[in-house]
Amino acid sequence: MTSSPAIVADPIIEVESVSKWFGQKVAVSDISCSFGRGITGLLGPNGAGKTTLLRMICGLLRPSDGSVRVLGADPRRDPSVYAKTVLVPEEDAVYPFLTGRDFVRYAADLAGAPRSAVDGAITSVDLQAAADRPISGYSKGMRQRAKVAAALVTTPDVLVLDEPLNGTDPLQRAHLIDLFRGLGASGKTVIVSSHVLAEVERMADRVLAVVDGRLAAAGDITAIRRAMADIPYRVRIETGEGRRMAAMLMETDVVSSVTVTGAVLHVETSDLGALGVTVPRIARDLDSRLAGFEPEDESLESVFRYLVRRR
Amino acid sequence: MRAVLAIVRVSLRQALGGKRILALGLVGLIPALVMWLSSRNLTARAAMNQFHDAPFAILFLMVLPICSLVIGSGAMGDERRDGTLSFLLLRPIPRSSIVGAKLVASWLAATAIVVGSGVVAVVALGVRSGDYSPLLPVIIGVAISTMAYTAVFLLLGHLTSRAVLIGLVYVFIWESSITFAAPGLANVSLFRIGITAYTAMVPESLRQLGDVMGSLDPGTWGAVAKVVVIAALTVTALASLLRRRDAVSE
Repeated sequence: MTSSPAIVADPIIEVESVSKWFGQKVAVSDISCSFGRGITGLLGPNGAGKTTLLRMICGLLRPSDGSVRVLGADPRRDPSVYAKTVLVPEEDAVYPFLTGRDFVRYAADLAGAPRSAVDGAITSVDLQAAADRPISGYSKGMRQRAKVAAALVTTPDVLVLDEPLNGTDPLQRAHLIDLFRGLGASGKTVIVSSHVLAEVERMADRVLAVVDGRLAAAGDITAIRRAMADIPYRVRIETGEGRRMAAMLMETDVVSSVTVTGAVLHVETSDLGALGVTVPRIARDLDSRLAGFEPEDESLESVFRYLVRRR
Repeated sequence: MRAVLAIVRVSLRQALGGKRILALGLVGLIPALVMWLSSRNLTARAAMNQFHDAPFAILFLMVLPICSLVIGSGAMGDERRDGTLSFLLLRPIPRSSIVGAKLVASWLAATAIVVGSGVVAVVALGVRSGDYSPLLPVIIGVAISTMAYTAVFLLLGHLTSRAVLIGLVYVFIWESSITFAAPGLANVSLFRIGITAYTAMVPESLRQLGDVMGSLDPGTWGAVAKVVVIAALTVTALASLLRRRDAVSE
């Protein structure tokens, strides 16, 4: 069981063959994984099923199939789990008529945490200046930080953070990333979901990638990167000598396929760097002007879909 | 207990904030206005009879259910709509405590408005006739029926996003029409529960109110027992729903 990179040796959270469907739509399909201490990144494009998986882990959604255990208990049956587990949801989920301080105090009261922890939690997310203003006047980034403060005031062992950096500016993002890294380093179990690879890379050493409701890849971030290195890139090239350039490109070992539509070439390559050197050279040899050279599907979605196809 | 009190406190602010409370307050002035305008030059006895006519009916059949509907259905419905229900549910608190706290808060908020409406109407009666005796019975009767309505509408607000529309149909079709047309159904009418408590404390009102509303069995403790059962059933049912059903939609 522990041979799978999706499973850790000392799990705090265990997800076993979990599926979730809403009517005819399958949101999560047969995912098994576990989470230990430290930060785990949950990576995937929008609509991949990350939020559904996190909601099942927290007990907000009942799995259609399979089971979830957090700190050894089923969160849907045992609310005491929430004394040590918190979710920072993607949606706003704040009370606009409360001030930031009131909101964090409310979270402390609900969890039985000492009120003396409120100021510390607000300081940890750098929200002191706005703490006594109503949340209705907060920016998206400030609301995110208020939610994180409300989570931290309970000193949880397990933090589930759904796209926590959405809406934050670069300074706030850097601050929150440092905060999450510190929590992970102190032995907390932290799950951070994101659709931005660079964000997850900065926080997590271990990554689970979810695509179309399925687990697409798991392991350390370098393994994911290595897997992504094999991806064939599609590049759109525009030149006056389309057919001749296609023929010369096929004579090299840089491209795996070329299609020509008038002056436009669609090229598939696994070595984007070599193609970038080869194409200008051929254009020069043909005495042809290179009007365009752009990757067609560099998006994270295409990367994830490639990972799924490889499984 | 600290968590329950915190939920009550925040829920009261949620219920009593915003423009809708201003609208409900204006609706609450209607019984007093009608009482004041319709009791000019009446004797004390005639003024009391007048109080038990239109102002009383407006208080119990319109102000009370509408305030309870808006506040009761919003108690859980607003949390669900605003995404804060997950904030509440992901706490180490039993579901029944969350529902109980929401019920108490919405009952207190609705009662504050409807009692205010009833008190102003009784003051209008008192100024005209010098008789303020219905004051306490109105407060108790209103508090009892408000609990029954808020409990039912709390559940409704969790079950559907169209709770106000469905609640209005219930109030104006079932409560204000069908239960009058079919006397046998009077016992399952929520506003009558409070009125039975009122008539127990103001016996001279029984004949006049009974003529209009059908059979009324006066009894304060019986009315209290009924709303306790309704509240307990609501808390049990809603807590069970929160445990069994998904707390958020897709």
